Amino acid sequence: MLEAQGLTKYYGSVLAVQSIDFRLEPGQVLGYLGPNGSGKSTTVKMLIGLLEPTNGQVLFHGKNIQQDLVGYRKHLGYVPEEANLYPYLTGQEYLELVGTLRGMAQPRMKAKIDAFLELFSLFPHRHVSLSSYSKGMRQRILLISALMDNPDVLILDEPLSGLDVTSALIFKNLIQSLSARGKTIFYCSHVLEVVEKVCSRLLILRKGQVIASGSTEEVRQRIGQTSLEGIFLQLVEDRDVAQIANNIVDVVVSP
Amino acid sequence: MIEGARQFFRTRWEPYSRRPFPTLLRVFIGRVFHGGGDSGASEMDVGLGVILILLALPGVMVSLLLFEKYGTLIRWMRGEGAFDPFIATIPDEYFFVVLSMVVTGAAAIWRWDALLLDRRDYTNIVPLPVSLRRIFLGNLAAILLLAAALTLDINAASFALFPVAVVGSQDSLSLFLQFGAGHAVTVVLASAFSFFAVFAVIGLLMAILPYALFRRISLYVRFLLALCFLVLLATSLAVPSFLSETERGATNAIRAIPAVWFLGINQTLWGHGNDPFFAAMTRTALFGLGISVTVALLSYALSFRRSFIRIPETAEVGPLPRSQFHLFPTGLMDRTILRDLPQRACFRFITRTLLRSEAHLQIASAFIAMGLVVGAQAIAPAFRANTAAAIHRPSEDLLSLPYILSFCIIIGIRLAFEIPSDLRANWVFALWIDPDALQARPIARKVLLTFSLGPLVPICFASSAILWGLESAFLHTAIFAACTVAFVEILLLRFRKIPFTCSHPQFQSHSALIFVAYLFGFLIFTAYIPELELWSLAGPWRVTLFIPLIAAILLSIHQYRKQMLDMDKHLIFEEISPSGF
Repeated sequence: MLEAQGLTKYYGSVLAVQSIDFRLEPGQVLGYLGPNGSGKSTTVKMLIGLLEPTNGQVLFHGKNIQQDLVGYRKHLGYVPEEANLYPYLTGQEYLELVGTLRGMAQPRMKAKIDAFLELFSLFPHRHVSLSSYSKGMRQRILLISALMDNPDVLILDEPLSGLDVTSALIFKNLIQSLSARGKTIFYCSHVLEVVEKVCSRLLILRKGQVIASGSTEEVRQRIGQTSLEGIFLQLVEDRDVAQIANNIVDVVVSP
Repeated sequence: MIEGARQFFRTRWEPYSRRPFPTLLRVFIGRVFHGGGDSGASEMDVGLGVILILLALPGVMVSLLLFEKYGTLIRWMRGEGAFDPFIATIPDEYFFVVLSMVVTGAAAIWRWDALLLDRRDYTNIVPLPVSLRRIFLGNLAAILLLAAALTLDINAASFALFPVAVVGSQDSLSLFLQFGAGHAVTVVLASAFSFFAVFAVIGLLMAILPYALFRRISLYVRFLLALCFLVLLATSLAVPSFLSETERGATNAIRAIPAVWFLGINQTLWGHGNDPFFAAMTRTALFGLGISVTVALLSYALSFRRSFIRIPETAEVGPLPRSQFHLFPTGLMDRTILRDLPQRACFRFITRTLLRSEAHLQIASAFIAMGLVVGAQAIAPAFRANTAAAIHRPSEDLLSLPYILSFCIIIGIRLAFEIPSDLRANWVFALWIDPDALQARPIARKVLLTFSLGPLVPICFASSAILWGLESAFLHTAIFAACTVAFVEILLLRFRKIPFTCSHPQFQSHSALIFVAYLFGFLIFTAYIPELELWSLAGPWRVTLFIPLIAAILLSIHQYRKQMLDMDKHLIFEEISPSGF
């Protein structure tokens, strides 16, 4: 069980996020939404222990993760927002690096890596440098590195970035299957259609503060919108998107 | 006049500079100095000014040293009377030719990836309404401008200072001009030859090989070229003695050295064109320069047509897979020195980064190559003695060879440790490494000793066993290994990071002091220790002297670390203390 209690983070005097609270039980998928600069990545970094909150705490099974970060991270799978990988390592070498750092036994690690590479259609490219991987292939490597040690908690920051249609469809089903197997999933994304489909609960952020939370159905009813897109626009965007689009076209066609 | 220039700039140059071709030129010049390739070299982007100063420094320093050599007062004190500057300066002129070729060649090797257009240029520029011919000419113009800028920058100091140092005190303007012009033309042509020779190699490889294979072997070709330039540098020690009229017949090999060709041009311009040797060398130099420029331009055109234009077609091919060959016996190492899993992961990451990341490999290779040259120079006297007996008994020169190589390898790798590799990717270590459990120093120690003692100990033992017998070989190898271990411990005194994962330290006020300390360390490690070893090899009991010496060093280091604060031992990912390298 993963819980955030009053998470607040200041960068100097700048407030990034304020009083974030949620509680995620095994099998739940929390969709974490918000526009650029709303504090999503800061929250993710606090959840995985790369940033220490200014106030509040992250609890895993009731214990502050800062008390035993290493122990907590053994249960954690993480897909970062950007696929920053060492370009001169091959896909297989990168996964071996992660597996070894996670302390996985060598035979189990090798078996998992081979199986995952095959399932994610990367096996033929396993000895090729990551520098020549496409964005989608790098994203698949990150997904494998997050899943390979059978984590209890998955923290996914824009996991579909760069994935092709088939991979994205597989991934959506994968999230649901993992959730059905009792994994706790924190899903941070801009792709509302996917969030709507895979997440059991929602948390919408704006300027570092939570403006809506609850199950997808609860939020829908509370806002009075049928689609998540409608909810998002009503809560987060105070601009007329249709008007902005028209203004852009005006500039495009102007002499 | 200044106002007129400003006016001209505003009315003519500014509008012209905004047109497509000058804009392309600016982009290509920028990529030459600030990027190109996909090596992640942006971490080491040091700026144009610093680059130009660094390239000009060798010429400045060598020229300044010559003021002492050719100063009127000093020559008078040495009892040297009138001298012919055109004869007396041949060794120095040869050195300047070599220096200009080596520095220009090294700069061209360093910017290897940035000279030819790549996929990034294709993606950004070709879709725009710019003709391929304009792109071709734009990059060619940028390369020619780079060649001109490098040539002028590298030789600028010697253009002015060398003639002043040698003939500045003589009251003859024509002598000064003849000397200065002869020198300037020579080094400029030598630099141009060197640049275009490297460019021709790149262009030819790019034109002949598939792009993926070119990328794969380019590192090794660059290393080979760097070695060639270092060998050329080493010739400046021996070749001048073969250039006098009486010695030239001793060997024909000097005719094959490009720097000697350009010395021929120099001697022709200095009025010795009637000398058959220098006349022949002048012709060879001009022919060689013509060939290098022609091949470079043709291969550039061919590679543009064969590689750049066909980039979209080659996109599907992808690079060749990496070889599964392991430089080290990984299974054995895993079972012995790398049983701890995080250590094993870090060790593999470090060795792979060292061998694959271009920036790191370049630094380490430069130091290894320097070790090879200095080592060759060190043992040359033993071989020049020309007697078989000279190498069949231990001498200080021969004993120093493994120390020199070891010092250069270790310092090169240690310096490379400080250069981060794609810092944004280090989250994987920040996330999965326990900073309290992982000790970075043992990992760094294992890497340094694997790369230094790994190859050197067997070679050292085998060669000394063949030359001096088993007993001397055992003692020499044992002393060398023990001293290397102690040296590594000293270097890693306050080391507390995973190599390549930490931001690199800012220039510290005591960096100059550290540089001097390294020079002093070089002197001790490669001169005094071999001297002491030579003395100790004369009587086996004397070798025991090394035991308390090494033990004292290791004990002192141990005591020092014990009194360090815990916070100074904590693993870091950001360099904030001034105690780094």
